[in-house]
Amino acid sequence: MIAFLVRRVLSSVPTLVGISLLTFAVLNLLPNDPIQVWSGGGYYSAEAVEHLRSELRLQQGPAARYASWGLALLRGDLGRSMRDGRPVARVIASALPWTLLLNLCSVILIYGVAVPFGLFGASSPGSIADRLGRALLILLYAVPSFAAALLLQQWFAVRLGWLPLQGVPDRAATAAGTTVALARHLLLPTVCLALSGWALVARYARAAFRSALGREFLAVARAKGLSRLRASGHVVANTAVPFITLLATIVPGLAGGSVIVEQIFSLPGVGRLYLTSIEARDYPVVVGLTLLSAVLVLAGHLLVDVLYLVVDPRIRSGLLDESTDAA
Amino acid sequence: MRPESRLAVFVVLATVLAGLLAPVLANDRPILARVEGRLAAPALAELPIVGRLFDDPGARVVDWDAPPASLQTGATRVLLMPPVPYSYRGIHLDEALRPPSRSHLMGTDALGRDLLARVLHGASLSLLVGFGATALALLIGFCLGALAVVRGGLFDLLIVRFVDVVACFPPFVLALAFMAALGRTGVWPMVAGIALSRWTTIARYVRGEILRHRGGALWVSARAAGAGGVRLVVRHLLPLLAAPLAVLASFGVANAIVLESGLSFLGFGVSPPTPSWGSILAEARGSLDAAWWPVFFPSAALVIVLASLCAAAESAAPGESRVSRS
Repeated sequence: MIAFLVRRVLSSVPTLVGISLLTFAVLNLLPNDPIQVWSGGGYYSAEAVEHLRSELRLQQGPAARYASWGLALLRGDLGRSMRDGRPVARVIASALPWTLLLNLCSVILIYGVAVPFGLFGASSPGSIADRLGRALLILLYAVPSFAAALLLQQWFAVRLGWLPLQGVPDRAATAAGTTVALARHLLLPTVCLALSGWALVARYARAAFRSALGREFLAVARAKGLSRLRASGHVVANTAVPFITLLATIVPGLAGGSVIVEQIFSLPGVGRLYLTSIEARDYPVVVGLTLLSAVLVLAGHLLVDVLYLVVDPRIRSGLLDESTDAA
Repeated sequence: MRPESRLAVFVVLATVLAGLLAPVLANDRPILARVEGRLAAPALAELPIVGRLFDDPGARVVDWDAPPASLQTGATRVLLMPPVPYSYRGIHLDEALRPPSRSHLMGTDALGRDLLARVLHGASLSLLVGFGATALALLIGFCLGALAVVRGGLFDLLIVRFVDVVACFPPFVLALAFMAALGRTGVWPMVAGIALSRWTTIARYVRGEILRHRGGALWVSARAAGAGGVRLVVRHLLPLLAAPLAVLASFGVANAIVLESGLSFLGFGVSPPTPSWGSILAEARGSLDAAWWPVFFPSAALVIVLASLCAAAESAAPGESRVSRS
């Protein structure tokens, strides 16, 4: 298991290098001089332009620039924000918890709603409720997160006034009050982000449970006298793998979707930071965030592979055999 | 074909038509008018591509907003107005935020522009970007995927690795980064940015499918008959892949439309007077507390078109429907 992990991490090193190269290439090599953009077409003095040029190492060639940028990156140094001079890593770190919290809540909500929904559909296939549910899911899948956000904001925040329109709770509130306030503020963004994932997971859940419910092991388990609950535990164990694979599909969508959702709901997460940095032409932060999102997706793939090992003993033994063969 | 999927295909085709014909369907200029004794078609002149044929310098200077009475007299008279007699850019502040009514079927926005006209015009942009970006992604994905198999070896490894790297970037983030780096917003940067983040799925699929044929009967006999790499792929393998690629492409169009409306929503799309479903929604944020229609109708248009694209793609996918039919 440890050998597999080490091998898996090592095998993602070339991808990591590729990610850094692509990020660097997209944001540095396109025919667009950042100084030209910042100076608004030449309002900076010659000394200021020269200073910026040396600060950004623009006088060096692309290869040298990538080398020095990459070396600094290895030390965790992403440079400084062009807006306030803070280290990019610290700027990102202050925004990251919001995005992680939002995405974690969304994943929990997606699976918490979609799996029972799929189980229900699979237990009564072809019924009117099942068909209505499937039509509803296709419709929900097609609702873009920002459209959903506006409709929900209009209904629940403006019309009914049940939930706050946007933003995050004040720091002044008490601890217990803060949790409630936080939940109230995060509810709508989480739902918006979860919408398309719901439809996807519920469809897979329905198909997976349908095939599992028809399998012999379930009849055997029930015949042996296992309770319905214990038996459904076996069903879930047998269908776990596709759900984990789906997680890898969902995460990049969530990462992209939270850019819009955070913007609409004024959450101070990395998605919003990304947009404000793009608008302010704060390239070091944009580079850092682009890199971070790709690395997070890669880490997601890694996590999925590890989860496979945890839930499926067949995969576990298969991989262990492979690693002993290689040794 | 099941009735639902027939409906879905119909909706998609109707939207394409509506997008193409938007200047004729919704315009404050007449389709047919008499200008100084000659027939003119000012609305047709705004059509894409063929519009130039109908361009008439005399009709361009007429103020069609003038009171109808003055237009009906003399040498200039309106003969036929479009079904929606408003332009997507015609600002009428005294008509601002009118709820849906007989004269404005979808109501008006905060600047008094007819929402139906804007949604119709928005369709053309969404579809242009959706189909354009998907076509570009198909081209890149197919060429790289096929090239990887035909060349093989180190080249294959490099392409596979490159696809892995690009696929790590969330599509929305990559498209935004590309447009930020380009320092430009608008339709073509958006098409390029979306295509850049969407071709990897196609490349992976094409590579996997062609790989199955390598060394097979089709491959060997085509090679034996003297077919080169390009001929082998284009003449013999492409027809086999066309149907599944069409399914992938319809999902791709739906995805590209979501990306486009998201980018436009954030202000990275076309510049203001031109509507896109995303930018109409972005403008609707300002009147969130006063009106529901500027949010509801563009959202509904998006949802219906996206759901139809997905349903149409699904019914064409090899699976239940195909099996049950044969």
